[in-house]
Amino acid sequence: MNIVVCVKQTFDTEAKIVFDSQGRIDPNGVNLIVNPYDEFALEEGIRLKEKFGGTVTAVSMGGARAQEALRTALAMGADKALLVSDPALNDADEWVSTQALAQAISKIPHDIILAGRVAIDDGSSQVCVRLAEELHLPSVSTVLKFSVEGNKVTAVREIDGGTETLEVELPVVLTAQKGINGNEPRYPSVAGIMKAKKKELKTMTLADLGLSALEPKMKISKYDLPAPRQAGKKIPGEPAAAAQELVRLLHEEAKVL
Amino acid sequence: MDEIKNVSLEMKDYIASSGAETLSWCMQCGLCTNLCPWRLVPGEVSENFNIRKMQRLGQLGLEGFEEENILFACVTCGMCQINCPRNVEIIDNVRSMRNTTVGAGFLPAHLRPIAGSLHANGNPWSGEREKRAAWQNGLDIPAFTEDTEYLLFVCCTSCYDTRSQKIAKSIVRLLKAAGVNFGVLTAEENCCGESIRKLGDEELFQKLAQGNIDLFKRNGVKKIITTSPHCLYAFKKDYPELGGEFEVMHYSEVLAQLVKEGKLAFPEELVRKVTFHDPCYLGRHNQVFDPPRELIQAIPGVEFVELDRSRNKSLCCAGGGGRIWAEVPMGERFGELRITGAVEKQADTLVTACPYCIIMLDDACAGLEKGDVLQVMEMSELLCKALDPK
Amino acid sequence: MPKGIWIFVEQRDGQIRKSSFELLSEGRKLADQIGEPLVGVILGQGVETLVKAVAAQGADKVILVENEQLKNYSTGAYTSALNQVIRKGEPQAFLMGNSATGRDLAPRLAQRLGVGLASDCTGIEHDPEKFLVFKRPIYAGKAFAYTGSTARPVLATIRPNTFAIAAADESRQAEVEKETVSVDPADLRAIIKEVALATSKRPELVEADIIVSGGRGMKGPENFTILEQLADVIGAAVGASRAAVDSGWREQKFQVGQTGKTVSPTLYIACGISGAIQHLAGMGSSKFIVAINKDPEANIFNVASYGIVGDLFEVVPLLTEEFKKLVSA
Repeated sequence: MNIVVCVKQTFDTEAKIVFDSQGRIDPNGVNLIVNPYDEFALEEGIRLKEKFGGTVTAVSMGGARAQEALRTALAMGADKALLVSDPALNDADEWVSTQALAQAISKIPHDIILAGRVAIDDGSSQVCVRLAEELHLPSVSTVLKFSVEGNKVTAVREIDGGTETLEVELPVVLTAQKGINGNEPRYPSVAGIMKAKKKELKTMTLADLGLSALEPKMKISKYDLPAPRQAGKKIPGEPAAAAQELVRLLHEEAKVL
Repeated sequence: MDEIKNVSLEMKDYIASSGAETLSWCMQCGLCTNLCPWRLVPGEVSENFNIRKMQRLGQLGLEGFEEENILFACVTCGMCQINCPRNVEIIDNVRSMRNTTVGAGFLPAHLRPIAGSLHANGNPWSGEREKRAAWQNGLDIPAFTEDTEYLLFVCCTSCYDTRSQKIAKSIVRLLKAAGVNFGVLTAEENCCGESIRKLGDEELFQKLAQGNIDLFKRNGVKKIITTSPHCLYAFKKDYPELGGEFEVMHYSEVLAQLVKEGKLAFPEELVRKVTFHDPCYLGRHNQVFDPPRELIQAIPGVEFVELDRSRNKSLCCAGGGGRIWAEVPMGERFGELRITGAVEKQADTLVTACPYCIIMLDDACAGLEKGDVLQVMEMSELLCKALDPK
Repeated sequence: MPKGIWIFVEQRDGQIRKSSFELLSEGRKLADQIGEPLVGVILGQGVETLVKAVAAQGADKVILVENEQLKNYSTGAYTSALNQVIRKGEPQAFLMGNSATGRDLAPRLAQRLGVGLASDCTGIEHDPEKFLVFKRPIYAGKAFAYTGSTARPVLATIRPNTFAIAAADESRQAEVEKETVSVDPADLRAIIKEVALATSKRPELVEADIIVSGGRGMKGPENFTILEQLADVIGAAVGASRAAVDSGWREQKFQVGQTGKTVSPTLYIACGISGAIQHLAGMGSSKFIVAINKDPEANIFNVASYGIVGDLFEVVPLLTEEFKKLVSA
């Protein structure tokens, strides 16, 4: 089975967001990790290979530092890695990213393409579904569990207030919810880490992919930070009145309900 | 039968290159495993973690030590190391073996937010950097200047945890009462990095340590008082490797000296039966045994009693080596043994001198529901009570 | 006729989702600002009765697409149908709720149309030059990006509860345009076999938007029922502090904190939790924290956005009743 896993390198969940002099998000000094949802996708990709044989190719897009994310994928058990990297992709929106990744992945044999359901940085949750469209493949998003039998994939996905079971034939794109199939992303062995250093990690530019610079559809005009958290307040009064006031504050002031 | 595995010279070299230099000295006598506090509790970690075997796997370059229950089980208490007949630097070996995976970017999942916070905030508690010195509001603590004798370096835990802030505030009060010329640079400090280094993240440790060393040098710091024995360890034993040479003391050493010199006295009588838990990083690792005992016994009215395991034989609280962030089921926590030990001695107060120990012992005391017979206190808190019992 | 602001009216079993009414309400304002019509797009089978409600919520026109293939949502059929009506009607903007359906449908539709999509937005501003500027939380809400598109239509999914629902005007009439579409068989490759709606199923702790958590103050496992009742009213997950887990009241997998699960929901309601540092560090990045504790000195109040000092056994059931009122309103 030919398995492709899309892996994105993101800021650490604990990272502080700081702007540079141009008002853009400054990645300097920020610890980078593999998008946690993609780790679940990787785990599933490696398990598929362990069950059915085949090859797992990890694909990422980003700057040179994204190689670290791919090394992580290789240490976990991916066989090959491909990084799409080009300065012209710095302002890529989801459409541009999709064009570049689709071009790269179309050259790799793929029966199943896996990715996390969302990346924790831009949170846009678009590229892998767009990728399915661009590659003319069916997709199932936010998959909670799935199984492959012959050419048939049975997948359970999360919908609002419940789940939906789908059947689809390979090739297919699946986006993973955390905890997909009840598995945790593996912790690699030292041998795996050592082997990963010798595995193929290819980098391709847009030109290598036969693409020229692409004009994004969406442009970010500015960034800002949320208002600092207000000092907490204790709500006085009798329990009934306090409960009522709390719900009012949550609804009207915090707007969380 | 165990699966037969191939000895891997390549892996052996990789482990050694991560810094486990004395791994090959080990002759596998097994004294380490038998002295290990994990032998005193039941459970999964105890059954899986065997420090002798872990080092053997490392010596031969065999897989099997990377499992989280094995590689990250050691509390770095040092009980094995000080008794090792071959002087194997067991704790260095542990952190080096951890570095073989952590250095490649694989920290166990539950430790990632800790490292993430250290990267982003300079502390492991997800506290905002801007709020590191917030506990000092209204305390009138002088800033460190070139005329200041001592820098007071406060552990991250005591900067961010309200419970632990009481320790920092008590120490400040004692230093002031004794007329010590000290100041702080709290707002600009990083975590000392002791625990993250033990967890094998050498790169992150160096980033934190370098920040502190530069800060200290820039401000002309020569002498440092630490509130935590873990910071004491980092500054004394780790920082010199990076060119940070300072005269470092735990607050108990400074205060004990001041009591001897007559500059600090405890006028109030406290009728208590007190016992002392030696923090591993104060006692075994830094050989500071007497100052806390002298201080506690300088309080009039205190009856002091030793725990069965004290000084060099002290039993770890289980908070070292990054284990303060590990989840261990009840019944397998070393702290519980300490609480039980203190209650058996009929002590009403269990004193220690480390913010990590306080977290672990408080937790064990609450878990065992012994709060009505035993109070866990940091030594500075007890001393402050004796300064003024109100 | 101008092309307008289009709203995807999401329906399931003939019921319009609340988020669609929110979008119609805000869409009405935007349409007035740009001087173009507001159009509601309904997909389904036998859903003509919904037109009235969409009109009452402000739509000038309703595009009704009925087809057996559209009876229930499927990615392919809906993409196919919307692609056809959008290409034909050429709206300026096409807005959807950021529901599970919206998240699944919008990217595929945007790619088929070859346009941009602003997902999970929490605000829309009309700008004479940039047309619509969408505010999007990024980095889990630690920052916002303001994004817009030069191409039309621009697609966006809007986070539920972003906009208030305006009062419906039952007297409003809307022009109804019935569209027929043909669904490409290639779009029907993923076949839905079963839909299981489990309304009482609580979300996973790490994914939950709201978490209600109990600590030592819960006093016993049986008392977690009151937290569960509260949680079910607001669709929350139920968590626990280490003390509650230690006492055997909750399973370890529900433990919140550095030594359990690190969470950052929008709302975290801590009941009877004093706030050990490992707990606080594991949930401190929650957007809003509510603390209910009888000890006014409890650490948890230091991080709480709102606190009630009181007996949780009294406060929590009252809170549940208040939430019920709010949810049913």
